Amino acid sequence: MTRLLPRSRGDRLRWGLVLVLFLFVAVIPPLAGLNENLNPDASARFQIFLGTSALVLALWAISYNLMLGYTGMVSFAHAAYYGVGAYTVALLFKRYNVPVLVGLAAAPFVAAAVGLITGLVAQRAVRLYFSLLTLAISQLLFSLVYQSYDITGGDNGAAITLPDQLTDYTTLYYFTAAIVAVCLLLMFVLVRSPLGAALLSIRENRQRAAAIGINVKVYELAIYIIASLFAGVAGGLFIFYQQQAYPEMLYWTANAQPVVVSLLGGTTTFLGPAIGAFIYVVLDNAISKQFPYQFDIILGAIVLGVVLAVPGGVSDLPTVFARMRERFHRAEEAEAPVESAGEAIRMFDVRKALASEAIQAEEVHSGKTLLSIEHLSKHFGGLRAVEDVSLEVKQGDRHAIIGPNGAGKSTLFNLLTGQLKPTSGKVVFDGRDITGKPPHVIARTGIGRAFQITTIFPKLTVRQNLQYAMLAHGGYSVRPFGIANRMFRAEAQELAEAVGLGAWADLPAGQLSHGDQRAIEIAISLALGSKLVLLDEPTAGMSAYETDKAMELVRRLATERHLTLLFCEHDMSVVFSTARTVTVMHQGRVLTAGTPEQIRHNPDVQKVYLGELEQEELGA
Amino acid sequence: MTPGQLLLFAVGGLSNAAYLFIVAAGLSLVFGALRVINMAHGSIYMIAAFVTVVIANQLGAGLGFWGGLLVAVAVTGAIGGIIEVLVLRRVYGREHLVQLLGTYAVSLVIAGGVRIVFGANYRTVVSPIPGHIDVGGYSYASYSLFMIAAAIVIAVGVWAMLYRTNLGRNIRAAVADPDLLNATGVDVTRLYTTVFVIGAGLAGLGGAIVAPSQAISSSIDTDVLVLAFAISVIGGLGSIVGSGIGALIVGMVISFGLVIPATNPYALAFVFIIMTAVLIVRPRGLFGRPES
Repeated sequence: MTRLLPRSRGDRLRWGLVLVLFLFVAVIPPLAGLNENLNPDASARFQIFLGTSALVLALWAISYNLMLGYTGMVSFAHAAYYGVGAYTVALLFKRYNVPVLVGLAAAPFVAAAVGLITGLVAQRAVRLYFSLLTLAISQLLFSLVYQSYDITGGDNGAAITLPDQLTDYTTLYYFTAAIVAVCLLLMFVLVRSPLGAALLSIRENRQRAAAIGINVKVYELAIYIIASLFAGVAGGLFIFYQQQAYPEMLYWTANAQPVVVSLLGGTTTFLGPAIGAFIYVVLDNAISKQFPYQFDIILGAIVLGVVLAVPGGVSDLPTVFARMRERFHRAEEAEAPVESAGEAIRMFDVRKALASEAIQAEEVHSGKTLLSIEHLSKHFGGLRAVEDVSLEVKQGDRHAIIGPNGAGKSTLFNLLTGQLKPTSGKVVFDGRDITGKPPHVIARTGIGRAFQITTIFPKLTVRQNLQYAMLAHGGYSVRPFGIANRMFRAEAQELAEAVGLGAWADLPAGQLSHGDQRAIEIAISLALGSKLVLLDEPTAGMSAYETDKAMELVRRLATERHLTLLFCEHDMSVVFSTARTVTVMHQGRVLTAGTPEQIRHNPDVQKVYLGELEQEELGA
Repeated sequence: MTPGQLLLFAVGGLSNAAYLFIVAAGLSLVFGALRVINMAHGSIYMIAAFVTVVIANQLGAGLGFWGGLLVAVAVTGAIGGIIEVLVLRRVYGREHLVQLLGTYAVSLVIAGGVRIVFGANYRTVVSPIPGHIDVGGYSYASYSLFMIAAAIVIAVGVWAMLYRTNLGRNIRAAVADPDLLNATGVDVTRLYTTVFVIGAGLAGLGGAIVAPSQAISSSIDTDVLVLAFAISVIGGLGSIVGSGIGALIVGMVISFGLVIPATNPYALAFVFIIMTAVLIVRPRGLFGRPES
């Protein structure tokens, strides 16, 4: 069933396209020469020059797309690193007589160094505020270059002279093409690697990415620096064919180019921006010479068209493509029945799930305390959401936390997994103090979590959801090489089958029904091979049948694999059939704890729930 | 620096702050209610500046300017309405990336349009309030003082609109919880259009008021947008008080930065250093509230 190397029509098409693009790039100079012979008005030199500029633009835009398309970051400072690259070559040459080739080698590192310093600042904010901070950084760098007349030449720019070997346009073209090709190869390896998978996870869902053990901020900073590095190369190459760097290269509006080029070619395919670059250069040359202002309008219209015509936004393109491909395939394989993806949970295969190697078997010494919570409190202003909560979860236990709405259950979970920092108190897990640690650290110590609100990667396939969780948990996410989609493939497939989603492993998770997405949510928390699994209302929104099946899996996993469970749940039948220990919370405090039998007969507990009932009856 | 000079530069800073506040307040109001950063805000400002200059120069500096101002505000309000209906309505609730790119596309279209209609040359208009007032040996342009007064009037007006009218109450409710507001029967779609029209009108008003004090060119859109961003970020997006404080800081930094020889070339850079510093210490700005 599972093919190791998927050789689909789409794959062949993609590689065919790469080949065509490669050949196209290779034949531009001879074609230009031919064209000049046929049509004396068309200067070969100029056309090769345009080709060179398209190559550099392609490199710049693809480096931008590492952030835009792969990580979901909008930066207004990328042009600044491009400019820094160009100025590195120019100023080293002008002021220190450093050969331009040496300057070109230095450019990416200078750009990356500036990227590191400014990136550390930009990282202080997220999303929108990150974008605005990059804008400030960009303008800062621009005004430094623009105003430092003595050093940079201000608005006169800074010029270089090329070595004799590179003055020939064709040679320069192939020289540029070779460097661009190497850079693209490096970036391509990166986006397919586990590191690339971590970036996609961040783009898809920051909270889930952290909960599978990815240090979101560090990865965002890393890709910001890597993108700056390649922008530096692009800037260095820019000055080779322009022989001039000027301050406007750094102005924030200059970022329009990589943005438009990425959108034009497509942000979700690696080489999309390269194709966009060639289209852009041709359009620019054809239109902007005669109608410079109309060109702006056309660019605006293109961006607007892409942004508005693709429902769900730029990063939704894969779903759109997937849907189109699906339609295409459905038309082709009309006889193959397409089953509804809904309610797959009924296919939960418990035995398979237990055999799944992804779920770790741990040597368990029952009675040992795995998680201990000591006097934990969380106050929001005057509200004491969690107040002086102490409890212990024994290894191998199935521990339920119950309580009426507002009892502080979800807040307690958020304190345990690092989404919130406690006001006071201590949390010790497996002998380690994890109080107030960030989510990704806690995830890596071995706490998996299923959230109450489904928190998955909607545009990744079901299998990728599980694969990427396994990659992150296994500590592979730092690897910038290897092919992420081929790692843990069998294990993820096995786990997907175990939770009844094997048949839909290749569908984007977001296309499945609510119940199935809950199953993915639970599967992700299991995929982490965690010692402790936290389930926050695992069966919320499931049908009675789905609930039974899901809890049967959870129960048997816990017994036979000695998983430790901590869960909160409103459905009392689930609680009493699954839990061995029950803790009752009320108004942020622990009311009582005991076996399900003790809790069932505890008058205080009855009062709490009855009290709530009375209030509800009174219409409060 | 003598006290006289100090006052001179302070008034310069205040008049900078005046038009910047008007523009930034519009940006911030829109963000507060719609959760959208309008990248075309500066473009709307630029349209208004050109419209005012053209009309004032046609009809004469006095009445022509005031007529131009009114037309400019009406035109930009209408353009705001068109942008909201055609573009923004389709990006609410989407990723901020889509919103940034969508309004950015609008700014490109407007930039091209303005250059086609008005050309790329600098334009100026004679001040409708000529003359100056002399205090302590320095003279202050009457128009600068008018700008400061206008900003104060607008600040009071925006405050009254937000806290003394039904519309304002709905806007504040939209900032707090749009879903709940919808459930109470308020037409949120129409409310959003109204807010955006007001925001665009404020950008237009800023552009019209600034016209006599600056040379108007087709690059003032990004110049003002960047400053309005800096102000909003310093003050906190969505906060009108924050816009006021932010505008004061930025206006003063530019005014004093430009006159101190050592800092002259880097006056603008200081604005961004302050912006960065504020964001590091308070990631949501001085008066910003955490995003829900």
